[in-house]
Amino acid sequence: MFVCETQYDVVVIGGGHAGCEAALAAAKLGAKTLLLTQNLDTIAQMSCNPSIGGIAKGQIVREIDALGGAMGRVTDFSALHYHMLNTGKGPAVHSPRVQCDKKVYQFTFKHFLELQPHLEIMQDEAVKITTSDGDVSGVLTLRDTLYKTKTVILTTGTFLGGTIHIGTVMTPGGRYNDMPSNLLSKNLSAELGLHLMRFKTGTPMRINARGLDYSKFRLQPSDNPLQPMSHFTDEKEQQKRNFLSCYITHTTLATDKILRENFQRSAMYGGNIHSQGPRYCPSVEDKIKKFPEVTSHPLFLEPEGAHTEEYYIQGFSTSMPEDVQRALIASVPGMKNASITRMGYAVEYDCADPIDLYPQLESKIVPGLFCAGQINGTTGYEEAGGQGLMAGINAALKVQSKAPFVLRRDEAYIGVLIDDLVTKGVNEPYRMFTSRAEYRILLRNDNADLRLMPHAFKLGLLDKKYEAAFEKYRLLTDKLKANLNTSVSNEGDLFPWSLSKARTHAEIHHKYEGYYERNKKDAEKLAEIDAIKIPEGFDPSSVRGILFESSVKLREVKPQTLGQASRIPGVTPSDIQLLAVHIERFRRLKNAQKTA
Amino acid sequence: MQSTICALASGQGGAVALVRLSGPRALDLLKLLTRKADSLEPRRQIFCTLYDDKTVLDKALVTYFKAPHSFTGEDVVEFALHASPYITGRLLELLCENGATPAKRGEFSERAFLNGKMDLVEAQGLCDLIAAANRAAHRVAMASLDGKLSERLGEMKIKLTELLAQIEVRLDDVDEEMPRLSPEFIRTQLTDVLQNIQTLLDTFSVGRLIKDGLKVAIIGAPNSGKSSLLNALVGFDRAIVTDICGTTRDTVEEMLELNGQKIILTDTAGIRSHALDVAEEEGMRRSKRALEKADVILFVLDTSRPVTAEEKQLWADIQQENKRTLIVLNKSDKPSAGTPDLANLSSYTQFTVSCKKGTGIEFLKNALTAPLNSAPEDGLVLSNLRHYEALLRAQTELETALVQLEKKAGGEIYAEHLRGALTHLKDLLGEVTPDDVLGVIFSKFCMGK
Repeated sequence: MFVCETQYDVVVIGGGHAGCEAALAAAKLGAKTLLLTQNLDTIAQMSCNPSIGGIAKGQIVREIDALGGAMGRVTDFSALHYHMLNTGKGPAVHSPRVQCDKKVYQFTFKHFLELQPHLEIMQDEAVKITTSDGDVSGVLTLRDTLYKTKTVILTTGTFLGGTIHIGTVMTPGGRYNDMPSNLLSKNLSAELGLHLMRFKTGTPMRINARGLDYSKFRLQPSDNPLQPMSHFTDEKEQQKRNFLSCYITHTTLATDKILRENFQRSAMYGGNIHSQGPRYCPSVEDKIKKFPEVTSHPLFLEPEGAHTEEYYIQGFSTSMPEDVQRALIASVPGMKNASITRMGYAVEYDCADPIDLYPQLESKIVPGLFCAGQINGTTGYEEAGGQGLMAGINAALKVQSKAPFVLRRDEAYIGVLIDDLVTKGVNEPYRMFTSRAEYRILLRNDNADLRLMPHAFKLGLLDKKYEAAFEKYRLLTDKLKANLNTSVSNEGDLFPWSLSKARTHAEIHHKYEGYYERNKKDAEKLAEIDAIKIPEGFDPSSVRGILFESSVKLREVKPQTLGQASRIPGVTPSDIQLLAVHIERFRRLKNAQKTA
Repeated sequence: MQSTICALASGQGGAVALVRLSGPRALDLLKLLTRKADSLEPRRQIFCTLYDDKTVLDKALVTYFKAPHSFTGEDVVEFALHASPYITGRLLELLCENGATPAKRGEFSERAFLNGKMDLVEAQGLCDLIAAANRAAHRVAMASLDGKLSERLGEMKIKLTELLAQIEVRLDDVDEEMPRLSPEFIRTQLTDVLQNIQTLLDTFSVGRLIKDGLKVAIIGAPNSGKSSLLNALVGFDRAIVTDICGTTRDTVEEMLELNGQKIILTDTAGIRSHALDVAEEEGMRRSKRALEKADVILFVLDTSRPVTAEEKQLWADIQQENKRTLIVLNKSDKPSAGTPDLANLSSYTQFTVSCKKGTGIEFLKNALTAPLNSAPEDGLVLSNLRHYEALLRAQTELETALVQLEKKAGGEIYAEHLRGALTHLKDLLGEVTPDDVLGVIFSKFCMGK
């Protein structure tokens, strides 16, 4: 065994969307960080769709960007097509989505990582997390190298015990043609005691655009004007670039017939897959099975890159055998002569029950171990990125003996996401929806900067050079929110913000005025009980008079605050009332002991 | 900010009832009810008039305790009122209408403890109290409520959840391919639920009875003694409060307080005597209407003479109403003409009275108000008031949603109000979580990439 001399603060295992953000954030906060990945050429790979953002997801990317993460900037760098979703509805649900050049995206992200001080990246596969007195102490790799570290962030994506299914053919893999990570999986469950579960997800086939009949498609051009994903991108410069279009087509009765005749040959229905897949991201065979009355489903053709003819077919996720997949493509208007370049497939993988995590994403079972992304039962690049960022921040804060950084549900979708994971657990891959946010009116794409940048500047996640402009912008929006007709001019250099951004924000704020206040008021009530920490040594589940069902849940979740306890499904308001009294009682008894 | 809570702090019965109000808005609410703008001296009892809109609710002894020198450590107002369920109930309602919320069991003590006003030993008692309430509430939640009520609540929950899902699915529609929801559909669904809520509000007898009073119809043939029964009932108690004309001119309603309860007597006695020229069937029609509106029917029979054909017809009408009916066998001071010859009469509670001598009136009076009194003794007023308040708040939310719908405000706005309504109804319907809504969405819609 080779023992690497360096004592790391943080080792990130996995170089996907969670791992990359985690590594950047930890290093930014000054932690000595190492990112381990099986393959440096697939770092930040977009394994599924070639787009970043989407409904509720776009808001998350804006939040990541406001907190100094790279996802938004890399998205703009690699952008091929901009589309603001939901513009026919209220601005609270406007969500940016950007089609990206997959190759440009991943190499740009790799470059970001290479340039980041305090961060090393290394091509190697982790096989074991070592502990000393129960705490994380190091990471052992396939090469038999030991990296000493105080904390580990696990961002394993679909690679832990990954199995690929195409029809009845099963091959080991975390992504098609990429080896899974099987040894680490054993270490986590057998040696560290993590509770592993098995989830499933899938991806559609890719086709060569040569031979497509575009006359059969509906054109979806890129937005003009566009809104960049990142707060720091120069809007005018971005506008000058060339953009590609997407296309919309649909399945037919012939598609339907092929699927029906071959149900039993799909991995999902043939019996090879027993794990839970996402209900909202169904394979096309799922759609036919569950909604037999719908005979035509939309399909979206999205370019995989600027230097390739490959298209991703959104809506056509499938685990059917190859012959069926070929027939499916031929059944779609405009695709008769298209050839498949990559088969669609389903992938099963291990994830760990997120109920075992504290809100700072640290494991309750292994101190110093943080988890982010699909290992926590989520899906989506954006959900992964948001968790990665928070895990990176919190691992660095732990090493520096600082208090954890936890976002509230009224502050960010990232707050909603993590609170849901650690308080309610998951029983299917978790995707963000705006309907999951009770403070939807507060959590918008247009105010992510105002919500989160103050935190980011304080923590040191954002370049100081932006702080003056942000302050000016913040004051300007306050003025305009107080009175839309205030005359404002000569505000000085606001870049990357602008007067028109401030106006747009103030107008949206006005539209929601009464609702904004209402949400805020509810949020304040929440903040009050969220401020009541459950003290060390106090076991809420042992309080007499708590309902049995609640006490089981309390023991499982180990809530950190009274607020978190109140959000556990099944815990009653009376339970919370009792806890409030008992916490105060516990505090007084402690004080009495101290003075005695 | 802490909420302001109120509840009846004394038991029912006795001459004086104590209502306690605690929280940051306590003093504001006191000023609102007493219409006194000047500041009150803390810890000094004053005698003042409490107003309910244009009328006087009660003259009461009121004490204001300034935080932190109070039972709970917050601003507290204590009202010593005349012990009438109507007065205490209406005061609590007025407080809630103006921003207070009904206190949960043990909530005053909880606040007292959290504000350092209670020691650890006392806190143990408090914990036992909350625990007991917790178990009781749990039992209620687990036990199926009265069939019709739980059915209504169930329907309402499904309707609201599905409507919310219909709206949410469009807000979260990744493909933007879903057809728009028609305003007519949303309007119909909202109106349906609103109707349901209204029905429910009406079934909450205590809430409605406290507010509107118990409607009692005195039915009987001319000269059976309806007017003297009215006088006998009133004569033993406080005087008639007001005379109010019925909304329709054909009945006379009198409001009075009986055993501390608000009672509205619909007296058909005057009708016939004042309008002798009115045809027989017209008289019948009016009696019928009085019957329809009543919560309780007093059927007065003169036992000194045989039953008439008109009385037989009346009795048939009464039985059709299927309402709480008390049979008043009047004129017991005269020789009896035998058991009245009416079918089924024996299956109703009968009271033998003499309005002239006053015998049997007390029994009748107590029986009449018994259902009202039984509620507060079980502590049901509080919990029902909470439910009643919750329904009222939900009603406001959904009505606002309708207003916003007319303004085409957008799905995210309607959703705010639907979520608001569901939150208010949490105690009644059980919690509806985002996962429940997503569950409906995924089972009904094919969405996702």
